[in-house]
Amino acid sequence: MNVFRDAVAAEWMKVRTLRSTWAFLAGGVATTALGALILFSLVQSYDAATPADRANFETADPTVVTMPFVMFFIGAIGAMLITSEYTTRSIGPALLAVPQRRLLLGAKATVAGLVGLGCGALFALLAFADARLVLGDRPKPINPWPQWTGAIPTILCAALIVLVTCLVAMGLGAIVRSTAAALTTLGALVLVAPIFAHFLPTVWQLRLASILLPNLTPQLAGSDHPYLLSQGGAAAVTAAYVLIALTAGAVSFSRRDA
Amino acid sequence: MGSMIELKELTKRYGDTTAVDRLSFEVRPGVVTGFLGPNGAGKSTTMRMMLGLHRPTAGVALIGGRRYDEIRHPLHEVGAVLDADAAHPGRSAFTHLACLARSNGIGKARVNAVLDQVGLAAVAHKRVGGFSLGMRQRLGIAGALLGDPAVVLLDEPVNGLDAAGIRWIRSTLRSLAAEGRTVLLSSHLMSEMAVTVDRVLIIGKGRLIEDTSVAEMRDRFERDVLVRTPRTAELTGVLTRLGATVTRTGDGDLVTVGVDAPAIGDAAAAASIPVHGLTPRSATLEDVYLEMTNEAAEYRAVAEGDRR
Repeated sequence: MNVFRDAVAAEWMKVRTLRSTWAFLAGGVATTALGALILFSLVQSYDAATPADRANFETADPTVVTMPFVMFFIGAIGAMLITSEYTTRSIGPALLAVPQRRLLLGAKATVAGLVGLGCGALFALLAFADARLVLGDRPKPINPWPQWTGAIPTILCAALIVLVTCLVAMGLGAIVRSTAAALTTLGALVLVAPIFAHFLPTVWQLRLASILLPNLTPQLAGSDHPYLLSQGGAAAVTAAYVLIALTAGAVSFSRRDA
Repeated sequence: MGSMIELKELTKRYGDTTAVDRLSFEVRPGVVTGFLGPNGAGKSTTMRMMLGLHRPTAGVALIGGRRYDEIRHPLHEVGAVLDADAAHPGRSAFTHLACLARSNGIGKARVNAVLDQVGLAAVAHKRVGGFSLGMRQRLGIAGALLGDPAVVLLDEPVNGLDAAGIRWIRSTLRSLAAEGRTVLLSSHLMSEMAVTVDRVLIIGKGRLIEDTSVAEMRDRFERDVLVRTPRTAELTGVLTRLGATVTRTGDGDLVTVGVDAPAIGDAAAAASIPVHGLTPRSATLEDVYLEMTNEAAEYRAVAEGDRR
């Protein structure tokens, strides 16, 4: 598959030579740093609290705080793989070079997947390292992982969910074609919807929250969480996200005139 | 012939509007072919359909016998510039071309070679966002030449260029055709085409009006012959007897319609009337073109009126 391999290599070169890619990565780093600061101040107030109060502290899982933002930033890189070309009209030359639409979208999805998985793993590990450094061997409930091995499923699933977000964002980009629209929708999906869910009646709150991308991480990992899905259910919802986004993106990308 | 372009009944409709209407023609290698029509005639839509960017409602466009989107690594066979602004402004000229080249298995040495060929080597690592229109046109053409293709398509390549840029494009296209390539360029300016192309395809309202050579077009629209003679009255009599319609200009020259220049010369010689000047005059290509495309517009208006 020479043609596909060359297309992937070209998309990889494109993503590397886009300034926005590096800006979004910097956004991910800043978020992680901010998350570490918040965690640090939380631990300070924990240490000052009485033993009774300590038992009421929420779990200080850094992936809950930082990963939605990481999902947004890394997803944005995936969306920009397509929208940057429509916005600058360089989609024309791109399609002249690789006129097989599905093949081109496949190459973009491959790169989005690689970026999503790589960055997802990197930022999940950074968040985990934060937690280990700041929480040390403090007990539950504030420390989600008194044993570091307990964090492995969460890290893997967090990385997987970033990958999925990146693919979903790329599919969105293929549908809306505009950077502004794609990033707004992505932000609504991973950052705003979880807040919005809180305003629903409790039953619906849980039903909606359970299928939101950021909340799929604990459900996939099977860790302590308030949501409704089993690990298998969460895996099915995750797969549905990818399938729907890529199918809709492929249909839009191959049917419409460029 | 692997580099022939063939359109068969190519049609594009947007709702009730027919942008391109059963267009059929061939573009042959070795000459520069002009694709001419007023703004909105369907030139860009046609070219975008040839290149698989727009889907035809009906019909097919083939390049070397295949649809464009059936060609693997197409930059090796077809080079095209549809839009001078089609590069990401944040990338350098080099990275813009390198991304395109990579997708078709073309190496970085070739990227440098085409940048050199179009005169952008000095600014290869500058951002495209800072380029002038002329530089961006050159960058587009560099992209089209990456794969050393046998077919080159350019949409309105001289739009907005200065004199030096226009001259550069002209000579570039001429040398590409001289190398045996198929060269098709679109324009809405007949004056530009007259000096650049060998053949013209004229479309109006999405239909093919004319498929001819520039020379043929000039001949066909020869209008009259301007004759200068000291003995105007006598020559007028001779020419009128030949069946010509003769009128006099303010300068005392004769404008003759209906007889060609050799016949006038022969008749004057037979009657021993001296002739000081004999000038066949044709409509300017610009006039001819405007006349043709206006007819298309009128035809269209009538046809639509009939339907109601």
